[in-house]
Amino acid sequence: MISIFLLQWQRFRREPLLVLSFFGLTIFFVFFLAGSANTNQITVQTYLEDDVSQSSADEWLTVLNQSETFRFELTEEEDARSAVMNGEASLALQLRNDNYRILVTVDDQNYQLVNGYVQQVFQEELRLAEVESSLESVEIRDTIAQELEEPVLTVTSDTIAGDDNGFLYDARLHTLFGMTLFFSVYTMMFSLTNVAEEKRLGTWDRLIVSPLRKWEVYLGHLLYCFLIGFLQILTIFLFFEYVFQFNIGANFGAILLIIACYAFAIVSVGMLLIGLVRTTQQLQAVIPIVATAMAMIGGAFWPVEIVSNEIMIILSKAMPIFYGMEALKGVAYLDQGILEISEPLAIMFLFGVFSMGIGINLMERRAS
Amino acid sequence: MLETEELSKQFKGKIAVEGVNLHLERGESVGLLGPNGAGKSTTISMISSLIKPTSGDVLLDGKNVIKDPGKIRRVLGVVPQEIALYEELTAYENLKFFGRIYGLRGKALEKNIEEVFELVGLTDRQKDIVKTYSGGMKRRINIAAALLHEPEVLIMDEPTVGIDPQSRSHILEMVRELNLKKGMTVLYTSHYMEEVERLCDRVYIMDHGRIISSGTKDELKSILSSEETIMIDLDRPYPDLYNDLKQHDGILQTMETETGLKLIVPKGSRLLGELFQIADRHQAKVVNVHVQTPTLEDVFLHLTGRKLRD
Repeated sequence: MISIFLLQWQRFRREPLLVLSFFGLTIFFVFFLAGSANTNQITVQTYLEDDVSQSSADEWLTVLNQSETFRFELTEEEDARSAVMNGEASLALQLRNDNYRILVTVDDQNYQLVNGYVQQVFQEELRLAEVESSLESVEIRDTIAQELEEPVLTVTSDTIAGDDNGFLYDARLHTLFGMTLFFSVYTMMFSLTNVAEEKRLGTWDRLIVSPLRKWEVYLGHLLYCFLIGFLQILTIFLFFEYVFQFNIGANFGAILLIIACYAFAIVSVGMLLIGLVRTTQQLQAVIPIVATAMAMIGGAFWPVEIVSNEIMIILSKAMPIFYGMEALKGVAYLDQGILEISEPLAIMFLFGVFSMGIGINLMERRAS
Repeated sequence: MLETEELSKQFKGKIAVEGVNLHLERGESVGLLGPNGAGKSTTISMISSLIKPTSGDVLLDGKNVIKDPGKIRRVLGVVPQEIALYEELTAYENLKFFGRIYGLRGKALEKNIEEVFELVGLTDRQKDIVKTYSGGMKRRINIAAALLHEPEVLIMDEPTVGIDPQSRSHILEMVRELNLKKGMTVLYTSHYMEEVERLCDRVYIMDHGRIISSGTKDELKSILSSEETIMIDLDRPYPDLYNDLKQHDGILQTMETETGLKLIVPKGSRLLGELFQIADRHQAKVVNVHVQTPTLEDVFLHLTGRKLRD
């Protein structure tokens, strides 16, 4: 079994282009669809009233830009007004010394959010400034910061961001999870074509008439395909977590388990496809169809929650990628643990067991 | 040493092999001769435990190996008809892998690889990627991969298909050497009569899934001891002449060859004069006439009524 497994790595080393191209495509698509920067940030064009000094403006912008939701960009008043008038921006912020104004064309959700945030910042800063001026001998900001480190009472407020149905959605993470799971299907299934190719070339027969047992031959191949898929998904998650600061969740053990169950399910679906088709060419034609359909229906490209067609929703439940996405989102959005995601994990595992069983059975029937 | 008893195989109700009985003694070189589709590959696939027979047994030293194929797999070296190698790897890497799956490791593996490369005459090219090899070289490595574990029985399924004469000659020499010098038992299937004649002590002739005759080369040729072969070379094909001769009562078999016609006639029949007359009637130009004793090819033609390469 080890010999077969090592042989696959040796073959990969000689011809790595296919696997590496899917790896590269994943990074490319996630990077450009999700963006390297935080695309969820709302950019607010900001201009100054005449008597506001540059240093004062810098201080306000520093405080305002501590938010992850908003990005305040300093611009000329004329440009800001022009952008609002031309519809390029829905609002602009004018900074005054102890106050602000918002230039707005429509009273939309962004206006409410920006106004609420800026108002909160100004109120806090002005209060602090007032307290500082009355207590000259005390470093009030440091004292408050220290108090906040160990608060007497903690109030946690969870906000469900999203549409009216209230489902959780983070465009960046969804793209990362969706694209990574989608492209890993190609990597794993195309790696599995080695099995079909070996049968075509006759090397498979050579292995069968050797002292190796048949399960060892299968396991060697499957382990390689599983590992290459597992490593691809893991590497891409780590890459975007550490290089582009995507927050995939703190429960790393759960993430590893999800990847393992998903990779197992996909390798098994691949075996089922090999069992169903007759030639390598057919398999190569079927893989893109299956991968794309699975990703579209299973919610890798867009959230299943926005789909209204009942049939498509039912179909999505038959796709392992759906459960992979559910589990990953659970860990990333809600900080769920292994126990909470045990249901999608179990479904993926069972999916794998059934597909593998049927696939190998079909292959063996054909061979005999 | 190795024998089959009433070995049969059906694919979806269609009979591929039926009631095949053959045996190989230790150190023997046995040929399995038959045209394409005769059932040779299916037979050796069953012997080598690649596919299970529908009925019948394969015995190794008297023990049935159908249920426990592990026994036969360890002593068998199988050279498949197709080039079953990993072409993106070097020849050395291929042999190392095939050696490992037979349990060879370390120095023993290295030694065997070296010996096998020497045997197939590719020591200098061992580090080259297989896909850069010529067809003949690939065939040699294909054989080498089956020899690494020093098998007691070597089964070769048409190992010289589609290669140049030089490589073919090299392979035949090599097989003969393995059989004579190393005492390896060889089961050699081919539809090239001259290969079987050159390599094998005994021959099984197979057609339509059955063994239709067997014996030593001389025994088989003696089937036609009362016949002789007349080879007639013509300047071009004469279909009417061929049809006329086919109807002739005194001619047992008529077949077209690349250069003319081949006739099997009763020994001592004085047909030559008449043949010239018939040729003259068809205005055929006879270039050469040669009377010879029967070959295995003639035996095959006699038994099956068709050429080996039909």
